[in-house]
Amino acid sequence: MHHIRALLEKEWLELRHERGLIISTLAFPLLLTIIGIVAVVALGRVPDQDTAQLGAVQVDPALAGLPLEQLGQVVVGRQFGLLFLMMPLFIPSVLASYSIVGEKTRRTLEPLLATPLATWELLVAKSLAALLPAVLLTWLAGAIYVGGVALAALSPQVFGLIITPAWLLLLLLCGPLLALLAVALAVLISSRVNDPRSAQQIAGVVVLPILALFFSQLLGLVQVNIAFVLAMALLLLLLNVLTLVLATRLFQREAILTRWT
Amino acid sequence: MNAIETTGLTRRFGQRLAVEDLSLAVPLGSVFGFLGPNGAGKTTTVRMLCALIGPTAGTACVAGKRLGAEDAAIRRNVGILTETPGLYDKLSALENLRFFARLYDLSEARALSQAEHYLRMLGLWERRNDAVGGFSKGMRQKLAIARSLLHDPAIVFLDEPTAGLDPQASRTVRDFIKELRAEGRTIFLTTHNLPEADELCDQIGVFRTRLLHSGTPEQLRATLFGRGTLLRLAGDPAPWRDTVAALPFVQGVELRDGGLAVRLSNPDEQNPLLARALVAAGANLRYMEPLEHSLEDVYLELVKTP
Repeated sequence: MHHIRALLEKEWLELRHERGLIISTLAFPLLLTIIGIVAVVALGRVPDQDTAQLGAVQVDPALAGLPLEQLGQVVVGRQFGLLFLMMPLFIPSVLASYSIVGEKTRRTLEPLLATPLATWELLVAKSLAALLPAVLLTWLAGAIYVGGVALAALSPQVFGLIITPAWLLLLLLCGPLLALLAVALAVLISSRVNDPRSAQQIAGVVVLPILALFFSQLLGLVQVNIAFVLAMALLLLLLNVLTLVLATRLFQREAILTRWT
Repeated sequence: MNAIETTGLTRRFGQRLAVEDLSLAVPLGSVFGFLGPNGAGKTTTVRMLCALIGPTAGTACVAGKRLGAEDAAIRRNVGILTETPGLYDKLSALENLRFFARLYDLSEARALSQAEHYLRMLGLWERRNDAVGGFSKGMRQKLAIARSLLHDPAIVFLDEPTAGLDPQASRTVRDFIKELRAEGRTIFLTTHNLPEADELCDQIGVFRTRLLHSGTPEQLRATLFGRGTLLRLAGDPAPWRDTVAALPFVQGVELRDGGLAVRLSNPDEQNPLLARALVAAGANLRYMEPLEHSLEDVYLELVKTP
């Protein structure tokens, strides 16, 4: 474990000097959280007449009878709640791409692999270095969002309809699974590209299913309840197993040295 | 006892043969020069011996550990200076060394004392807290050498340690290698700098996919060019060439550096006979010098044939 700890500390020590990377990593969750809270506040003050016509409103009986401004808060609050799932995908893909491809471009992989460090320790450390900040930032942003919604909601009922047990489960369960998936994909992509930005751009496509979920909920095609979250978690688990097996196969000492560099 | 022993070590990458049937023995505490042209397979060999990649065939024993069976132990017992220093630019020199010391399982106190020892030896102690990104090429190379020695390895692999360094930095590195040898470490030196290899190495292996020749620099010279004598004569030496060539003990003669280079099987016994014969024929003999070939001559002779 001390090798993993040494690597993690080195990663974060390096990250401390990368202001641009820190800003780009923090900016997205910060902006999304602020915009989400501001949108909930705004919809509570300026109700949108069209909100009642949305598919999302029509399919959910819990929303029946809500005043228009409260309805607006619930719809926009729920939609932004789903966008929080982009954080555990976006943050690790930036960090892992930088971390793994960075080792390639700086040609530091060979000296690293020449130490008694086991290959699995390197993989775990690199993954954790990207995974932990992503999960913690997502949860922190989620906690701020919960606080913001609590202050902005026009009624306790609105708060309860936005911050549902299903959404909390989504953030707490699917968040880490999505982050793990992003890391495994970053490892897969990093074995093929030599530029962190290319790796990030390719990894960027993983947010597309979240956007699909966003619009599906808005149109009333999907309702994010506990059953849906558990099914999504199961699917993510399977995808994680698949990508991790592939990533572990690629992440072999010899392959890294002879094919990655 | 040998620090490194290989038998039939072979490595293929698909259809391409990078290393073929390499059998060599590097004695403990010696400096072994591994010479060869670019793309000869030197780096692949070093990577195999450092247990970074596996061989396709053959066996090797490094620091008493069997390649393939005790790879982690091999990595623990060898230090490697890779072709590029591979340092973390954002970290300071000391942070770089402390990180690698932790990977070699050194305690914090030991890591710091080792880092200080080598940074002082290589003249980097005053810059220990500076980010490596601001270091010159020579400083980076020295730091990478320090990193390769942190865990006190028995065998050190140095890949082109003075490549691209200015003469002063090269001298520092060469002196440092001599100190390492004096400490009893085995050094496997990959270099293109032939005078450097001549100066530092106890044994040399000339390699191009397979080992073309190995031995001490003197053995290589003798094997390839034989022993001999350079004759300095008054006036043009060319007319005396046939006279010398006609002597029964002369193995060969050629014009070289304004004199006659004569190959002999035993110069100690044959030089007096040679001198007498020339003087008797009327030649004005000025000097007789041992015939010397640079390591460069040896190397070029060995690698010239496909």
